[in-house]
Amino acid sequence: MKTVEVVVLIILILALALLITVGFEHIMPSTAVRPPAEFYLYATYNPYKLREYTVMSPEAVTAIVWDFRGLDTLFETSVFYLALIAGLALTRRLLSERAEKPGHGLSLIVKTVTRITAPMIIVVGASIALHGHLTPGGGFQGGSVIAVLPMVIIVVFSVSFLIMRGFTTSKMIIMRSLGLFGIGLTAIALFLVSLIQGTHAYVFQNMIKPDAQTSMPIYIAGALISGTLWFFNLFEMFAVAAGFSIAFIVLMLARTLQVEER
Amino acid sequence: MEIINTYLLSVVLASLLANFVISLYAIFFKPHYIKKIIALTIFSDTANTFAIFIGYRRWINQNPSKVPVLTDLNPRAVEEFAKLAVDPLPQALVLTAIVIGLAVILFLVFLGWILYSHYKTLDMREIRRLRG
Repeated sequence: MKTVEVVVLIILILALALLITVGFEHIMPSTAVRPPAEFYLYATYNPYKLREYTVMSPEAVTAIVWDFRGLDTLFETSVFYLALIAGLALTRRLLSERAEKPGHGLSLIVKTVTRITAPMIIVVGASIALHGHLTPGGGFQGGSVIAVLPMVIIVVFSVSFLIMRGFTTSKMIIMRSLGLFGIGLTAIALFLVSLIQGTHAYVFQNMIKPDAQTSMPIYIAGALISGTLWFFNLFEMFAVAAGFSIAFIVLMLARTLQVEER
Repeated sequence: MEIINTYLLSVVLASLLANFVISLYAIFFKPHYIKKIIALTIFSDTANTFAIFIGYRRWINQNPSKVPVLTDLNPRAVEEFAKLAVDPLPQALVLTAIVIGLAVILFLVFLGWILYSHYKTLDMREIRRLRG
């Protein structure tokens, strides 16, 4: 019965695709949507002709996310933070975070392999985040990869093991708040510097603008960091990794609580 | 050859449309809360894939389009990059949309926990019956 439905669905999709093929030119966006994309692509790394608009980042997506449309990402980060805080506030009544005896966990082989792979997960996440302005990736993706580690530890050892090692939700919230503070500080860093120097600069400014000549450093010790982008990725990585760890710990504590109730 | 490429792209488009329909059906008519959340994630992922699909452009009679990451740092490469790379704007917007969707789903999961601890069930029919 299910097979018939799936086959009918596939045939419907293929027929619809045939229909779309005929009218393909009419449903795809015309070339009129191209100029904004061309500007972003042309300005993302262009010290040759567009020195006053470029971000000096070879990765166009990160350049848009953290510079051209940086305020979007700032508010997106705050939406994530507010959702997390709202969830914690809702479940505060149900949550009792006490360090009890850790469970048995999985077998010795799995535990040893987890101990070996734990640093690797962190290194991969950090490399994704810190190369976010050079290769595909960025703070959010790197932070998500790092947040796999508490998940694996919870499954392999137990949630009490993680809490006894000091990864309590309150410490994670402090780490997340530090990350968010870093993001906010990076956003107004150039503004503060120009206040001290007596020149003028914009909030969320990265490179020089036609009427604001202060700029974040493009290279540090010969390595391209693209000004604010590297710092944003670094702090976002901390914030996202800590945020996901909070969610995993709290949700897993919920499971242990409900097991106790029965 | 051209028509086969177009047909394959159209299959992607048609299956995205089918995904929209199926996930909307599941959001409205599946009684279980967790299944509703799963359908919502499928819906948002479909919307994100659709946005990236719109940003993709096959340059007919030219070289294949490139990823929006610059690999050569010289003036001529930058000019060519601006002509041939795909539109990075939908990808950046999708990145934002993914994070916000994730925040919403995280909040919905916490809400589901509250719902379960209050009603001892996540079946929406039961909850509607028990209301009040």
